[in-house]
Amino acid sequence: MSLDGSWYLCLAAAVFTIGAVGLLVRRNVLVMFMCVELMLNAVNLTLVTFARMLDDIGGQALVFFVLVVAAAEVVVGLGIIVAIFRRRVGATADDLHLLRG
Amino acid sequence: MEGFSILTAMVLVPVIGAAVVALIPRSREDVIKAVGLAAAVLVGVASISLAFAFDANSAEYQFVSEASWIEEFGVSWLLGVDGISLFLVVLTGILFPIALVGTDPHRDVKGYTAWMLLLEAGCLGSFLALDLFVFFLFFELTLLPMYFIIGGWGYEKRVYASLKFFLFTLFGSAFMLVGMVALVFLSAKGTAPLTFDIRELAERGALAEDTARWVFLAFTMAFAVKVPLFPFHTWLPDAHTQAPTAGSVILAGVLLKLGTYGLVRFGLSLFPKAAVDLAPVLLTLAVVGIIYGAVCATMQKDLKRLVAYSSVAHLGFIVLGTFALTTQGLSGGVLQMVNHGLSTGALFLLVGMIYERRHTREIAELHGLQRSMPVMAVMFTVVMFSSIGLPGLNGFVGEFLILIGSFVTRRWWAVVGTAGVILAALYLLWAYQRVFHGTPEGENATLTDMTLRERAVMAPLLFLIVFLGVYPQPVLDRINPSVERLVRHVEEKGGYEQPAVAVNGAEGVREERQKKEVEEGQAKQQESERKLAEFKEAEDKAREKARSGGQ
Amino acid sequence: MNGLPMNGLPMNGLLVAQAGQPEGLAPLELPNVEYSAMAPHLILIGGALVLLVWVAMVRRRPPWAWAAFTVAVGLASLGASWLMWLDVGRNGPRTAVADAVVVDGYSIFFMVLVSVIVVLGALMGESFLKREDIRGPEFYVLMLLSSSGAMFMASANDLVITFLGLEILSIALYVLAGLDNRRMESREAAIKYFVLGAFSSAVFLYGVALVYGATGSTNLGEIVGYLQSSVAPANGVLLAGVALLLVGFGFKVAAVPFHTWTPDVYQGAPSPVTGFMAAGAKAAGFAGLLRVFFATFDTLKLDWQPIVWVLAVATLLVGSVLAIVQEDIKRVLAYSSISHAGFVLIGLQAANEKGLAGSLYYLLTYAFMVLGSFTVVTLVGRKGDARHDLDAYRGLSARRPALALAFTVLLLAQAGIPFTTGFLAKFYVISAAVEGRSYSLALIGMLSSVVAAFFYLRITVLMYMSTDEEEAEEARTEPLAIPRSMAVVLAVSVAFTVAFGLLPAPVIDFARDATLLI
Repeated sequence: MSLDGSWYLCLAAAVFTIGAVGLLVRRNVLVMFMCVELMLNAVNLTLVTFARMLDDIGGQALVFFVLVVAAAEVVVGLGIIVAIFRRRVGATADDLHLLRG
Repeated sequence: MEGFSILTAMVLVPVIGAAVVALIPRSREDVIKAVGLAAAVLVGVASISLAFAFDANSAEYQFVSEASWIEEFGVSWLLGVDGISLFLVVLTGILFPIALVGTDPHRDVKGYTAWMLLLEAGCLGSFLALDLFVFFLFFELTLLPMYFIIGGWGYEKRVYASLKFFLFTLFGSAFMLVGMVALVFLSAKGTAPLTFDIRELAERGALAEDTARWVFLAFTMAFAVKVPLFPFHTWLPDAHTQAPTAGSVILAGVLLKLGTYGLVRFGLSLFPKAAVDLAPVLLTLAVVGIIYGAVCATMQKDLKRLVAYSSVAHLGFIVLGTFALTTQGLSGGVLQMVNHGLSTGALFLLVGMIYERRHTREIAELHGLQRSMPVMAVMFTVVMFSSIGLPGLNGFVGEFLILIGSFVTRRWWAVVGTAGVILAALYLLWAYQRVFHGTPEGENATLTDMTLRERAVMAPLLFLIVFLGVYPQPVLDRINPSVERLVRHVEEKGGYEQPAVAVNGAEGVREERQKKEVEEGQAKQQESERKLAEFKEAEDKAREKARSGGQ
Repeated sequence: MNGLPMNGLPMNGLLVAQAGQPEGLAPLELPNVEYSAMAPHLILIGGALVLLVWVAMVRRRPPWAWAAFTVAVGLASLGASWLMWLDVGRNGPRTAVADAVVVDGYSIFFMVLVSVIVVLGALMGESFLKREDIRGPEFYVLMLLSSSGAMFMASANDLVITFLGLEILSIALYVLAGLDNRRMESREAAIKYFVLGAFSSAVFLYGVALVYGATGSTNLGEIVGYLQSSVAPANGVLLAGVALLLVGFGFKVAAVPFHTWTPDVYQGAPSPVTGFMAAGAKAAGFAGLLRVFFATFDTLKLDWQPIVWVLAVATLLVGSVLAIVQEDIKRVLAYSSISHAGFVLIGLQAANEKGLAGSLYYLLTYAFMVLGSFTVVTLVGRKGDARHDLDAYRGLSARRPALALAFTVLLLAQAGIPFTTGFLAKFYVISAAVEGRSYSLALIGMLSSVVAAFFYLRITVLMYMSTDEEEAEEARTEPLAIPRSMAVVLAVSVAFTVAFGLLPAPVIDFARDATLLI
């Protein structure tokens, strides 16, 4: 019994949307960061599904690239977050208000 | 002629002069002034010799110099002069040295001289360019020095005035740039090579009637702001009032002419049909400008602002003459551009000289200057009468030609425009009366009259004002062939015919009438011959009938 | 592969087909890697690595040596790019590394541009780092890496490579934005840039995934093949993918409505980094955008042209109007860079060869103008990189006439004054729009440049028309030093802007020849 491919794609789309909306709505930088991960993983799911449907190895290979890049982003992102919130209690984006016009 | 020519040299000399000035240390003001003046005088001499070398029998562009420049866009460095631009070039060449000598910037002579020379290059480049792209470059380039001159050496509200001047003109040019590119691409029709050569573009005339009208409007937008036509004129009084004297002289004398020149050179020759169709709109704006400028001038309390508004009115006359689309009107318009440059330039110089002494431009503050400054009063009178258009002075010739040229085709506009002449007499004489008549008191009584240097500066202007008023023929001889060619071009491409009276005056009408009489006579004769033939035929038939009946 | 499961078709057929294939894997085939096709990229990356090792091995080294090394690396990559340009001119464009990388006029154009930015950026950074007492070679290393990412975006022939280039570019830039980590603003800029950058990468990647699903490949050449062979190529998945790609690129090039990060990040990042961002990152974003849309999705242009039209208009208007109300020079330049992005989008919207050439010309000339401008901003910012309010420019002409003149030239060039490259750049894209019959867009572009002229002039007003004694006194007490490396950057950018404004043929021909896409 196999599940129709579009189910996976719809799930991925839903996860991606959750991530995107979360990033735009939530104020905690760490949560925002997690939302980015959510989006990237939704993309990975999409890629794997398409690779399976197309019977093409390319999509799956791309997933590895995404994983590596996501890891690199995590390293840099966490570094920046630590640097900025080292002397603060919570990591809230609303505290970032020095730069405005 | 190819490569380097006198015209290229005329554009480059001020640029080189500006560069040299920029390299001289700030403290050597005398050297800077000498270099600046030398460059300006050199160009002036070149422009005058150009007028003498100009072939008055030819309507073509002369002294053409051409060099390829940006081949990718079809742009070439193309300069030339014809009867329409010749005297504007001469005017530029004469006014700049006068403005440099006749005024004192009071601070930062170096920057001032450099900007003035750059401005001269921009003006000359605009008048000489036969390539639309090159024209546009110079047309926009003139903004920059003028912006810095007003903003750096002007009076109390100079920043506001200079920004307004810059942005208004840039706004107009935005339309022109799009229109220009559209014209070039649509003329090429995707097959012919792109060209910005206005001679070629005028010949191609490939735009659909509707499109041409839009592109014409885009061009007109830029020129209408520059002229300035009513309702785009609001930058002008501010810019004139706040500019230093030399700035006002050049602005009124030369820069405004870029607008009217653009209308003649590009509006008429590139879009003849659209110009014919839309002429009523422009004429109306011109006439509104004449009356509005005159009325505003009457109400001004500031002497410089008064002269500025009088410019709006005078420029309205030039546009009226241009869009009358008759040879006389157009010749008058071209001549009046020069006249206005001379008389308004001189007026601004005189007002500047008064300001140098009294540090005010308020008419109410000035009184009875005739007593303390008799020479100034005389010169002011002459210049003022030239501006009013008194017969015997230059203003009369131009205005008269414009009015008779436009009366033929655009009677009512001309009639309303004539009222502007009367109003001009009103506001200028009234201002003169308030400023110069009466017994001076206080500071007004102790003013020193014009210095020798100031008299020397005014002398060439006064000479030209009188000369052009008494004997304009050599100038008109050079203007007319080109104007005639332009009107013929408009007639051919615009599906329009100017009345004969506008070409040669009464003689033309007489010829026309004679021709008509001959034609009518011939027609009558033919008619009677025809009747005779009919009668004979009928007779023959009757005779035949009678014969057959008899058989 | 016709009809997607997304459209409701079951995928059983596919699974059956898969089951029918023989068992076992084919031997793994490694692509032939032609390193010469990526020589400039590799020179930059190699330079970055050497610099890292060098710093680790030799403790005490004058920082100017790092800058000199970076300049040398930039020049080497410039030389390599030039050799490749000659080679492509002789042998024609080609693809390399299993069709993933392309060597054509377009990619080399950006290699040249990025190399120049590296050289100028290193010179700008040197005296800044010294003044701010920021030790370590991070600036140079990250700039070199980031630049190699920019080059990869330009030479990518596969969306995967585009994505990798984008990430190499961006991740290094996140750190660069927060380089001056003693300043709170700099750190804040880093985090803002990072969050929105990561978001845009994810969006971009989802676009890649959808395009892959719809066309069966991420290779640009194969996508073109698919689009040309299929009868009705435009379906929902493909169009959604293309739209998401546009959004992803839109973030990078700061097109409205994806521009919100720009003013904050430009303001907060160290001034030389902002200059690098405005010149390099924008060029890289457009390098990817233009290739993907011009070359690959050309057949879909009736679908994306209207969207780009809207983006361009919004970008032009928002950029130039909001710049007027800013009080901080870096924010002014940020909004101005947004409006310049609008002009490049005009070239994209035209979707003709002139539009592409115009966009390239615009990016090249803008890079010089903006690098020069940010050099001035860095200088006037003084120690602490904090004096960026517009009042800091009051009376600059009296204090430093040459600096004021240079800044005026650069600003007026951005406003599009004749006889500068800035005017020709605007003219180029406007003529492309007119050729493509987008008259209204051309007019909106020109009118927005009139609005933009206002705030450029406003700065010149401050510099030239508001001097009084008090400020002259302040000028004497607080001298404004111009280090030699900064002077070089300024001289180069001003000379380029004016010289090629007067004799434009070489650069225009360069941009035109760069439209040689594979």
